[in-house]
Amino acid sequence: MPHFHIHVHNHSGETTDEEGADYPSLDDAARSAVEGVRAILGEELGRGALDLRGRIEITDADGQTLRVIRFDEVVNLQQDSGRE
Amino acid sequence: MIERHFLRLRARHDIDSEQEAAIRSAIGEVREYQAGRTVIHAEEYIDQSTLLLDGLMCRYKDLKNGQRQIAELHVPGDFADVHSYVLKRLDHNIMTLTDCRVAMVPHDRLRAITVASPHLARVYWFSTAVDAAIHREWVLSLGRRTAISRVAALFCELQMRLGIVGLAEDTGFDFDLNQTELAECVGLTPVHVNRILKQLREQRIVTFRNRRVEIHALDKLRSVAEFDPFYLYLDRQPR
Repeated sequence: MPHFHIHVHNHSGETTDEEGADYPSLDDAARSAVEGVRAILGEELGRGALDLRGRIEITDADGQTLRVIRFDEVVNLQQDSGRE
Repeated sequence: MIERHFLRLRARHDIDSEQEAAIRSAIGEVREYQAGRTVIHAEEYIDQSTLLLDGLMCRYKDLKNGQRQIAELHVPGDFADVHSYVLKRLDHNIMTLTDCRVAMVPHDRLRAITVASPHLARVYWFSTAVDAAIHREWVLSLGRRTAISRVAALFCELQMRLGIVGLAEDTGFDFDLNQTELAECVGLTPVHVNRILKQLREQRIVTFRNRRVEIHALDKLRSVAEFDPFYLYLDRQPR
């Protein structure tokens, strides 16, 4: 099974995935990455903050970037404009 | 061969030489299992219990979509399933997280021990009660602890449980789990766990890298976890 590394860049800096994990495909790794980011954002939301300025980089075992996913792509944010 | 089991038992109970001999004579076949193997499936009929000699095993339940929750880790010296003596069919699976060496203990030999020695019956009953206490602590973690506290609490628990059997110091222990498996213990995603580990590393509390947990500040680790080891029942127990 191919090995992927999921690195997270956000307001607290870069979290490098040294270990990585095996996934059947890049799409599976991306799904896991999206789930992980939503979980991190979810915990931050519990403390009253939602900072969508960040991205995930998925690399292969050689460090080649295979896919970049921005946080704002994985959250569907709805709100009223506040003007009636 | 089962010295770690005796270290574990004698941390809490008196086991005299006759009782020790009775336990040794109950040990049957020794087996080696590869990592990642579910060795007991939920609801399958069991007539022997598995004593872990080397390696790490876990209890887990999972959902149709493949999501797995580990309910407890087992370290050398533990019975992975002494409760199967009474339950016969388990509501959970048991798998190896690393390559493991185990000793099988047929239930009829366990019955002989309990009939011959009410004290040993109590000792093994006690160990199922401690497993239940560990489950309750994990309920607290999974239900209420923040992500960083869950990871810290798990490391604190393992430091004590491995310490009893000579496999941990205050400064750390070998822990042959990958991030995905650690995530399955604490009910988080691997990406989130990686972020938590970075925070713990940067705060100079603990570093988990290359299958080793290096504890830089045990008191801070316990404080982050709000860890109280009472649930491990490590005091000497009355006969």
